[in-house]
Amino acid sequence: MTLLKSKLVASLSKTLPPRPRSPVPVWLALTLALLWMIVYDLELSFETLAYGLADMGEYFSRYGKPDFTDLSRYVHLMGITLATALWGTVFALVVAFFLAPLAARNFAPNVVIYRIARELLNFMRAMPDLLLALIFVTALGLGPLPGALALGVHTAGFLGKFFAESLERVDKGVCDGVASTGANFAQMVMYAGWPSILREALGNVLYILDRNVRMASVLGLVGAGGIGLALHDTLRLFEYGQSAALILVILATILLIDYASAWLRKRLD
Amino acid sequence: MSDISIQAVTKRFPNGFEALKGIHVAIKPGSFTIILGPSGAGKSTLLRLMNGLETPTSGSVHIGGEVVNGKQLRRIRSKVAMVFQQFNLIDRLSVVTNVLTGRLAHRSWVGSVFYLFRNEDMGIAQEALSRVALTDKAWNRADKLSGGQQQRVGIARALAQRPKIILADEPVASLDPVSSEEIMTLLRDICDRDGITVVVNLHQVELARRFADRIIGMNSGKIVFDGSPAQMTQTALHTIYQREGIENDNSLDMALAYA
Amino acid sequence: MTTVSTWRWPTPSGRLPLPLVGSVLALLLTLWLTAPIVEVDFVRLFASGGKMLAFAGQMFVTPDWAYVPQLLAKMLETMEMTVLATAIAVVISIPLGVLAARNATPHVVVYRLSRDLLSLMRALPELVWALVFVSAVGLGPLPGVMALAFVTVGFMGKFFAESIEVVDHKAVEGVRAHGAGWLQVRLFAMLPQALPDFVGTVMYILDHNLRAAAILGLVGAGGIGYDLVMSMRLFQYERLLLIALAIYLVVTALDRASDSFRRRILNGIKQ
Repeated sequence: MTLLKSKLVASLSKTLPPRPRSPVPVWLALTLALLWMIVYDLELSFETLAYGLADMGEYFSRYGKPDFTDLSRYVHLMGITLATALWGTVFALVVAFFLAPLAARNFAPNVVIYRIARELLNFMRAMPDLLLALIFVTALGLGPLPGALALGVHTAGFLGKFFAESLERVDKGVCDGVASTGANFAQMVMYAGWPSILREALGNVLYILDRNVRMASVLGLVGAGGIGLALHDTLRLFEYGQSAALILVILATILLIDYASAWLRKRLD
Repeated sequence: MSDISIQAVTKRFPNGFEALKGIHVAIKPGSFTIILGPSGAGKSTLLRLMNGLETPTSGSVHIGGEVVNGKQLRRIRSKVAMVFQQFNLIDRLSVVTNVLTGRLAHRSWVGSVFYLFRNEDMGIAQEALSRVALTDKAWNRADKLSGGQQQRVGIARALAQRPKIILADEPVASLDPVSSEEIMTLLRDICDRDGITVVVNLHQVELARRFADRIIGMNSGKIVFDGSPAQMTQTALHTIYQREGIENDNSLDMALAYA
Repeated sequence: MTTVSTWRWPTPSGRLPLPLVGSVLALLLTLWLTAPIVEVDFVRLFASGGKMLAFAGQMFVTPDWAYVPQLLAKMLETMEMTVLATAIAVVISIPLGVLAARNATPHVVVYRLSRDLLSLMRALPELVWALVFVSAVGLGPLPGVMALAFVTVGFMGKFFAESIEVVDHKAVEGVRAHGAGWLQVRLFAMLPQALPDFVGTVMYILDHNLRAAAILGLVGAGGIGYDLVMSMRLFQYERLLLIALAIYLVVTALDRASDSFRRRILNGIKQ
């Protein structure tokens, strides 16, 4: 009886058991320390920022009067940019279409091919498109083609990874079903693979197209054609009116593509 | 050449679970065999060994004298069809296309990759569909059908392979009693009329009694009964379905093995 | 003996469905029409294959080891820019995300304005903003950090707002029913639910920002980008090789780290 009574007394006590130590404050402190160190190392001074922000009001006002005299040329350049993005995306799609099944653990014919395909896709993703554009410009000369190729190779890596991850999530039962009929690798991929992930895959392609339009706008900076070079030039010559106009053209186009792809996505659902 | 021969087969999964322990089975062509047993007994594993979806850790599996392995695997699978508990159809494709996947191993693959099929294949698919009485649903999307209908599509796909053997892994576990009756009758009819060897996994004892020529009872990876329905007495049933305490309960191990 | 006419598609008519054929043809037509604009010339492509191989061959030179200290300094700068910009963006996008969430915003007008602002912020690529900010505050990592943070707020703000919009409203009602104030409801009912997904996005954003930071140097906004472009222009392949390798290693390392972080810690929070 005394045991029960002491247990009851203990349960009536008003104090809670000690609170488990939360790791959050430690992580927060570490992060803040890290950030402070970074600010110091980058020699960012709040002075320059403050001056910069104060100046920026005045600076941005210079963009207030967009100069659209060269509009037709800008639109033409934007057209080139869009076409570059389209070709880049199509190229990426073709490469990813063939590589992704090899990079999916459940479809790959063997582990070696799987590892190689995965590494290849990772490599394509890791190389910045700008670097690829530079390399292709050296090999092919100036113009939009190296830009399209650079976009194609880089986003093939992304698209391939997205597709491979979707393929790996395909229901094992469906794969068994097709495999049990004696299907070979290509047939497995075409019947158990792509039909199962079609919706996700199309969403991924639209996302990549969107991204490529943005990147294509800046690839012109390295001579890979398009509107980026024009912007670089006007800014260097302090032609704020024209820069403003160029930025607005780029902005308008990107927003248009955004709306179009959102609309397409809704239609596909 | 459609006899199934399983000799001294053991199957151990990577997590250590031993699903089959030294199994010997020989199944004659044209027979209708039902494998009965509790969950985790190894029924599914045994069936999946027959078309190569599982490989034995030791021992051998032969179909028509050929080892189920390596280069012959595709050819053997074209003659061994499987019907699944979850139907395993390709949801967004039509019923016809699903049935046509049964023809994939029979022709060179060049056309099929583009979803092109020959007229003879279409003919075979239509024949299979009429055999399972689903001609009117031919162009519907596979996932828009009821459970019983989807299983019939699964059987049509199996028939389209013009198989020598049909394996059915718990084909009626997800179906209501009426559909279960339909499916078992269909399978029995296919065996009787076309002379196809049929092996079915079940856990419903009554269905086993009514439809089987031969019942193989399994428990904990071993065969504990092998005979005709008439020979399956209550004692025999106890042997098949006994569980000797928690130590011998395999269902958790089994679930983990497939995880 | 087979002729073409014995093949058919698995449709009632035996032919492919019209919408499918139509869209594919439209796409092919667009590609064909835009090919000259993009100067796509397969002959030229194959011809340049030789040049590409020669280039690749030139890359395999003795690396410029003396360059390594500067390379490491620049890579460190790139990583620092990434972390700092992402951190700043996180801090700004949490309140902004609250304003841009239909169920948390103080007023419909504020909601609309915030949504449009976020949309504009992420519309232009980082490099464009970097160009502009370099023009405004001068060269160095500061405009780079600003540009990265700016665009990141655009993405994270939107994502965070969407996370808030799908929180379980029963929890919110519960807190509100106990007399919690406007700020308290958001702090104690909405944010804790929206944050776990947010953490996953931060990992993805870090990944993206690192790649973006690596090229901002092109326009003088700090990081390894400037060295990258210069070594290319000056044909200094001994440096280019090292730079490409460094970028590849760092990006891949972060990739793996964020994958495993996502798997371990996020599963812990979600239980």
